Amino acid sequence: MKHSRQFPTLATERLTLRAPEARDLNAYMAFYTNAEASSWYGGPLRPDQVWRRLAEDIGHWHLKGFGMWMLVRRDDGQSVGGVGLAHPVGWPRHELTWWLLPHSRGTGLAQEASVAIMSFAINSLGWPSVETHIRDGNLPAHRLAVRLGAEKIARGTFPDGHDRDVYRLAPTKAMPFGAAPEREEGAE
Amino acid sequence: MTVSFTIPTIETERLVLRAPAEADYAAWLAFNETDRTAFVGGRASPNTVWRGLATYLGHWALRGYGMWAVDLKETGEFCGNVGPWCPQGWPEPEIGWTLTGNAEGKGIAREAALASRAYAYGTLGWTTAISLIDPQNVRSIALAQRLGAWWDGDFVHDEYGTMGVWRHPGPDALEEAAS
Repeated sequence: MKHSRQFPTLATERLTLRAPEARDLNAYMAFYTNAEASSWYGGPLRPDQVWRRLAEDIGHWHLKGFGMWMLVRRDDGQSVGGVGLAHPVGWPRHELTWWLLPHSRGTGLAQEASVAIMSFAINSLGWPSVETHIRDGNLPAHRLAVRLGAEKIARGTFPDGHDRDVYRLAPTKAMPFGAAPEREEGAE
Repeated sequence: MTVSFTIPTIETERLVLRAPAEADYAAWLAFNETDRTAFVGGRASPNTVWRGLATYLGHWALRGYGMWAVDLKETGEFCGNVGPWCPQGWPEPEIGWTLTGNAEGKGIAREAALASRAYAYGTLGWTTAISLIDPQNVRSIALAQRLGAWWDGDFVHDEYGTMGVWRHPGPDALEEAAS
């Protein structure tokens, strides 16, 4: 008897989204050992902690049937970040979460991946909606949430001691990729 | 298109070594409430326990080998994890084991460790193997000694502190001893 698992791959205009693998270790290292880039994600981490983070993210797929996808650029095959659905045991709610290497911020790639993944969650996993939780100072994440049709539904203290706004995201309200990132706060 | 990989199942006389599964989480939570966790980092939050289980599975994907869950063949009872193990930061690959204690004193850990070592040498092609053990963990050290391993210095990990390096006899030495 064998244990075999297959994880779905998604395609968007500019990206292939696939579950993390060994070859993504460099992208994980580049992000999680970078103090500035990873400051909202528990970083910076030591290299051995980064390796375990990657292992955990892969294991999440096995245990839950969903997880993080790597954002792989279709034009050059480079992994530039991760976006996915996380709900480890001990965490109160599921969430859409994302991380991007600094050179790929402001490109709309996180939004592009998020729309595809929200659609997967609702249509393939049968979820009624997708949420995300964001700490107060993480302004890029708040702005992205707004572009994803976010509606604030709660606020609470999470197991790590941090307060977060809880947003319900609405794929049908998501703005087209590339919508002006600095002016969306007042957008409908 | 999909990403996929496979974890083999191994049977010994009394045991089934299979892929770790979400069902093991409850057993580990119970283990986590006992004093036996002193040698594996102490009591942890449910989130940390679950992430450890996820790490077991991810290790298989990253290394092509890893920890199995060990079940008693007769009853299906889960009694711990054992297997070849080498997360980043380890000095070299080891045969690791963490038993829940519900099958203690029956040679279960030895049987599982022997199967893991045979798999590491026979299937993975390892030419040597160690086990990293907390210096205070006398039960685990005794098991290493029963497996023919000897103390080969200490290793200091950034997070887990000092661990004894217990070196197993290599595949050639075992073959010679068996003939």
